[in-house]
Amino acid sequence: MTDPTDARNAGPTAASGQVTAQSDGEQPRYGPAQGRHGAVPPAVPDKAVAGPRARIEGWVSRGLTRVTSSALGPYQTAIVRIGFGLVWFLFLLREWPHRQELYGPEGPWSWGLAERLIDSNHAFTVLMWSSSNSWFELVYLLALLSAAALTLGWHTRASSVLFMVGVLSLQNRSVFMGDGGDNVIHLMAIYLVLTRCGQVWSLDARRAARGRTEGTAGVVLWAVLGAVLLGGTVAGGFSLGWCLFFWALWVANGLWWVLRRAGARGGRSVREARDVCDILANLGHNAVLLVIMVEVCLIYSTAGWYKIQGTRWQDGSAVYYPMNLDYFSPWPELSHVLAGNGLMIFLVTYVTVGMQIAFPFTLLNRRAKNVLLAFMIVEHLGIAVLLGLPFFSLAMIAADAVFLPTVFLVWSGRRLGALAARVRGLLPRGRRPDTGHEEREEHGRDEAMDHGPDGAPAGIPAAQESEDDVAGTRLPGR
Amino acid sequence: MGMEKTKGSREGMEPAAHQEPGAADGDARAPGGARGGGSRAIPGNRERRTPAAEEPEGRGEPPTEPGEPAASSTSIRADEADGDSNGPAGHGSSGGGEEAGPAGLARLSLPARIFVAITVAVVAVAVAVHVTMVFLHVAPDNTVSRQHSDAVDDYVLPEFEQNWKLFAPNPLQQNVAVHARAAVTKDDGNTETTGWVNLTALDGAAVRGNPAPSHTQQNELRRAWEFYANYHDDKSRPVGLRGRLSEQYMKRIVMRRFGTRLNGGSVERIQLRSAITPVKPPPWSQERMDLRTKYAVQPWWPVTSADLPGSDS
Repeated sequence: MTDPTDARNAGPTAASGQVTAQSDGEQPRYGPAQGRHGAVPPAVPDKAVAGPRARIEGWVSRGLTRVTSSALGPYQTAIVRIGFGLVWFLFLLREWPHRQELYGPEGPWSWGLAERLIDSNHAFTVLMWSSSNSWFELVYLLALLSAAALTLGWHTRASSVLFMVGVLSLQNRSVFMGDGGDNVIHLMAIYLVLTRCGQVWSLDARRAARGRTEGTAGVVLWAVLGAVLLGGTVAGGFSLGWCLFFWALWVANGLWWVLRRAGARGGRSVREARDVCDILANLGHNAVLLVIMVEVCLIYSTAGWYKIQGTRWQDGSAVYYPMNLDYFSPWPELSHVLAGNGLMIFLVTYVTVGMQIAFPFTLLNRRAKNVLLAFMIVEHLGIAVLLGLPFFSLAMIAADAVFLPTVFLVWSGRRLGALAARVRGLLPRGRRPDTGHEEREEHGRDEAMDHGPDGAPAGIPAAQESEDDVAGTRLPGR
Repeated sequence: MGMEKTKGSREGMEPAAHQEPGAADGDARAPGGARGGGSRAIPGNRERRTPAAEEPEGRGEPPTEPGEPAASSTSIRADEADGDSNGPAGHGSSGGGEEAGPAGLARLSLPARIFVAITVAVVAVAVAVHVTMVFLHVAPDNTVSRQHSDAVDDYVLPEFEQNWKLFAPNPLQQNVAVHARAAVTKDDGNTETTGWVNLTALDGAAVRGNPAPSHTQQNELRRAWEFYANYHDDKSRPVGLRGRLSEQYMKRIVMRRFGTRLNGGSVERIQLRSAITPVKPPPWSQERMDLRTKYAVQPWWPVTSADLPGSDS
């Protein structure tokens, strides 16, 4: 955003366009080079060697450009960010009356008990810094606020770190209160820190699209967090690993801020430093995005893997049982009706196992993946209601969302934006909705990697659409 | 509180069910950074500006060779794909560097490119290591994970710990209830034992009709008992630190729900038992099973001030 003339405006689209365009025309055209390779092992004819090699090299080279030039899946990472931010926010809100019992110093899992366990497992939690109740209340409140900030994408990079600190601090403080939903949130909170998840659908993106500067909030936030970090370090509040991690993030954010400003008017070397940092951030983002996708696959495949070994999943009655457990039957009458139908229980049981095992493989085919994704989301909605596990289910849906197709996300975003605009229009003194006809911002300029319009760009370029989704385009040969 | 008193205390031990829905035991340890490991590295940036590239001999082999990112970034590879005029911007095979890449890979100086190349390799290795470790952690026990269990644990615990045995291998097929009773001393000095209170039933009542049950209702007692049962032997003796912690945790949960005064006396000691009732087989199945509840009575525990809600010890 600081340098609108930068050639990168077309960045992501160009790159993805190339991939599509190139997928079959892979013929090497450099005769001489080819000949030379062929000459090394004399017995093998030129083309036999050069063909596959060229393909591999071409693939690697394109892949390299792709993972360094842009932070892929802007919409997917944004929806994951919003999903997890929202789930944790709603969870903390729901548990507000129970917060003392869950995580407070005098809860059943008291501060003293937690201290003894954490001494042995070294989990990260700032709640161990003090056993005072006001410290706990402050941390809980900050966790709540950081979840809201992350959901809205307010200074996303900073709020994602605070979000992670909040999640880890509370969950690690009382590990025996959590369930599978907390587990997913825990993992994703860590992963999100390293992604550029505020590129779209965030306050950061909106600010950038309106061409506003960041103002002082970011700098103040950075300074305050630095002071807290310094205090924590001096007081010995962090283990060595966490200490290095937080300081690295802090320094990197400061450096990025400086380089972005300096790069706008500075000389070649400053611009280069900025570009290198941008590349590193893209690289980190893309690597972690891959990890998130693998993580989701691991969740499903191991869940299916274990299930298929169980006799109840084999005889088609497994789904019947959880619905008859006191802890998981908020609507016993409903559970009763469903549980009475043997055929349906059998179908749901088999389909569940089948879907979980099949999921990672459907990534090879976009359409199959999308169909399965829809099924999974519906099943999780069912679990939310039937088993009384709304936060677990929402967390799983948020994780699934990383595989949603870009077109769908963009379309939904636009619909939501239009709806919001209409609602605002109805309000007496509604402000003019921000319809976002601004150009899509260049990639990787802003601290939050702002991409421009908070809705979708007016016309998403064709190449962008063809990108479809991260999963599809990531696979070799697609 | 609406206490439900249950008479009778038949003995009987039922193994605590391990398969718990969505129960991932958060245990813990230090953060793992990126670690080096012997997995393949994606070679570095091979952008270049001139098509007349040379292949240094000996480097003819796969671009996916580990350990050579720096070399490959020196941009003297014959990158056949570059011939593709469609090459991503940045492969400025014809027409100069500036329109170059979105991220300007091609615009970077040599040292910068080397740096980027090394980073690419490091990141690739880190991702491979991370994914492998997590995989070995979540996969069933196997040849590799047994052999490297220490390394895997060191890496994954505490923050990447996870457990996706959701309702698997078999869903829990029994309702595990925790009952508690107390020995109270009345003001006149007499002692009295209260009836059994089904704490789990109280949780169940709170869950019923609740679209979003609290963790305090759905997880607290359920997981605490699971924790307790896992760290106690079949003679109800605590196993290790966790056994002792789980005992005090159970006491604190019960005392929080009982309060210090019960039935007009002050609570001196408490006793717990589990009551395990198999879920009735589905109506369509021919299975027959004994549906009677089995109890496992635990020893009496004295209540100390550390077990009361007001204390943080």
